[in-house]
Amino acid sequence: MRPITNYIFILFCLLLPYYGAAQQFDPKKVCRLDNGNIVFKLDKRWNAKQKKEIGKLFDLDSTLLAKAYQGNSEFTLQKDKWSVKKIDQYTFELSKVINSAPVSHVKANDIFIMDDFLNNNYNITLKENTIYGVNSFKDVSLFQYRNHVARFFIPGQKQARSIYLSGSFNNWTTAQLPMQKNDSGWVVNIKIPPGKYLYKYIIDGRWTEDPNNNLYESDGRGGRNSVLYCINHIFQLPEYRHAHKVILSGSFNGFNQSELKMYRTTKGWAIPLYLKEGTYTYKFIIDGNWLADPTNKLTRNDGNGHLNSILGIGEAYTFQLKGYNDSKHVYLAGNFNGWNPKELEMEKTPTGWKLSYILAPGMYEYKFIVKEGHWIVDPDNPYSTGSGNFTNSLVAIKPNHTFVLKQYQNAGIVIVTGSFNNWNPNEYWMNRNKGKWEFPIYLPAGKHTYKFVVDKKWIIDPNNKLFESNDVGSFNSILWIEP
Amino acid sequence: MKFSSTKLSISIMKANKSLLYLTTLVCFIIFISLVVIPSQTIALNNKPNKENILIIRRLSNNYYEPVLQSDSITIPLRRVGRLFLIESRIDDQIGNLIFDTGAMGLVLNKIYFRNHLVIDDHSSSGVNGTISSVSNTTIDNLNISELKYKNIRADLTDLGHIENKRGVKILGLLGFSMIKGFEILIDINHSQLKLFKIDKKGDRVNARDNKFRADLMQPIETANNILFLKAIIGGKKLNFCLDTGSETNVISSRSSNQVLNTINITRRSSLQGSGSQNSDVLYGNMNNFTFGNHPFTEMETIITNLDALSDAYGVKIDGVLGYNFLNKGVICINLGKKQLSICFAKSVKI
Repeated sequence: MRPITNYIFILFCLLLPYYGAAQQFDPKKVCRLDNGNIVFKLDKRWNAKQKKEIGKLFDLDSTLLAKAYQGNSEFTLQKDKWSVKKIDQYTFELSKVINSAPVSHVKANDIFIMDDFLNNNYNITLKENTIYGVNSFKDVSLFQYRNHVARFFIPGQKQARSIYLSGSFNNWTTAQLPMQKNDSGWVVNIKIPPGKYLYKYIIDGRWTEDPNNNLYESDGRGGRNSVLYCINHIFQLPEYRHAHKVILSGSFNGFNQSELKMYRTTKGWAIPLYLKEGTYTYKFIIDGNWLADPTNKLTRNDGNGHLNSILGIGEAYTFQLKGYNDSKHVYLAGNFNGWNPKELEMEKTPTGWKLSYILAPGMYEYKFIVKEGHWIVDPDNPYSTGSGNFTNSLVAIKPNHTFVLKQYQNAGIVIVTGSFNNWNPNEYWMNRNKGKWEFPIYLPAGKHTYKFVVDKKWIIDPNNKLFESNDVGSFNSILWIEP
Repeated sequence: MKFSSTKLSISIMKANKSLLYLTTLVCFIIFISLVVIPSQTIALNNKPNKENILIIRRLSNNYYEPVLQSDSITIPLRRVGRLFLIESRIDDQIGNLIFDTGAMGLVLNKIYFRNHLVIDDHSSSGVNGTISSVSNTTIDNLNISELKYKNIRADLTDLGHIENKRGVKILGLLGFSMIKGFEILIDINHSQLKLFKIDKKGDRVNARDNKFRADLMQPIETANNILFLKAIIGGKKLNFCLDTGSETNVISSRSSNQVLNTINITRRSSLQGSGSQNSDVLYGNMNNFTFGNHPFTEMETIITNLDALSDAYGVKIDGVLGYNFLNKGVICINLGKKQLSICFAKSVKI
């Protein structure tokens, strides 16, 4: 008995076919054109994943591949006539004549647009989910943000004939925001809400990143966009001036213990920050010791007996429920808290229950939980989504558009649906209010297409002049939401 | 076989045990790296998508001389995907035009110009049976920075599908005839377009500060306000149109085998045809592309039927040179000299 050598020998024998298959599996060598035929060289040693990958890359469906692997020499599938030719014990060639018939959906004035996956880095739009950020300017005096007005300043550039500011705050317009020349440089003020923004200067027609800004992101084409945060909160810690290092750590950055270093001020420590609207918990770390904010009375137990400070950014929305005075507790639950039924306890009022809660702009679903676990929709909210037991109340926080349909007053059900909700025809029910149908909504910036469904009949918005033809031979209404 | 395996066993037995374990480990690493990792990488990077190719323009053929006070102008291009947008004001609307030398003239998006008077509306039938509806209108003013046009005739068509693909508002397409009176410098790596006034010979009116140094010069032709140039694939001379509105190069599927056999195919989509056949759209790399004796690498291309495009242009075309050609350097087009030149240094700002 030679157990080790036997083991190694068996291992070699097992690995050899895999090694061979690995040598064979090069998707770039699978397909070729050969005198009017398209030929795929396939290998029986490929594993299921590799076969699936080849199927995806070359649009060969599983039925077709199964037939090919079965060894049928010829077969017809979905109008195409395929041939299979054996090369050796493992490999064979699947081929057919190239079909170059004109493509049915080609229309006049279309243009060649690449696959998005080949285009992967193109997208320079802002990620809406940025929760927080801190600026990093070389000279902090060159950018100011006060009362929602941002002031951009470029020193020098005396030879320039024109400088424009272009960024995500103005939809990257290249010609609408000229900077003004003064004695020391170029300046422009722009009113923008707190947030994260990408931008560049256009100096005499040339895109130029801000030389004063250390923060940048790839623009997807080898260049960079400058990044800035219009701040909406300054964390301040009075005293502790003797400390060596103070860190801000919170739920917004996963309680990172080294990232957000506060700087020393005359009274203590501070750090200005952009924080997306919402509710956060945080603490300071003073030379390694955790401390809740001594200036903030709002705290919440972290589950381990420690108190974290609580900070709400943005306006609070007050959820209200009338009645139910006989309930001991009433809770609010929604998709904003993962439908946790015990987290958000409402306060009792003389007329019912209420809870103020800060939410970022968006569409939210919720319910109240009364009388020991009984879930109810909000009886005073006319907007809901779903049906039957799956009906939830729906609220738009900071809606930036209201769909209105003045016609069809006698209709039973009117629904608005579009690209924003994947054309779900049973989600956004409009409400009849003072002679018209309404639906307030929060939509991200960009183009949205939509239709109304009036008693199951799909119509474009009769009051909107913007519409386009769609794939099913009718039209969709168009709505642009500006950033 | 028996003999050799026995010999192998004996020699291995003599070796240190730990060496054997090491060998086993190395085998596993080779196995993992050759079989598992490559397939995962491919799975992440390649997601075929059938909704990817769109074609064709059929456009008005007029030439308009714009007013420009200075001798030259630099127009910033806004890049979206591999399309390049030019901000413009058209009558009372501000928005983006796609810079599209594959379009003959000005094409406006019907969505935003429905109230404009339609002065011609007819259907036209192509050689392959495709029917397209063509309607025209006129606009009073088109301003692109300091470049000003008056009383322009434009084609109207629905460009909503391009907006939906790229997520930006598109007022229309700015075709080649709109700028062909200038020397044109296209620098897509720096997202800028420069136009220089030229005299009848094609020389710049103001030749000061000309930093453009051509590495390659080739003759070009125009037909119906579209630019054509000759390039060679697999020893065959082919007729390409230069198209800044094309996110990819394209080769006609009717090209000879000599041409198609040189293309390395990396993906395929099968599209539903209108008749009894499906249509293959193939993606690959042109391995053997030379222009002016200069070999071009990384020339991604699609292979598809270009009959409708040939029909629209009134010229038989073998292919389209788009983004993957334009990004090789700074392209200079001078119709006065009937010349296209390229400066390959991407980092040089012209």
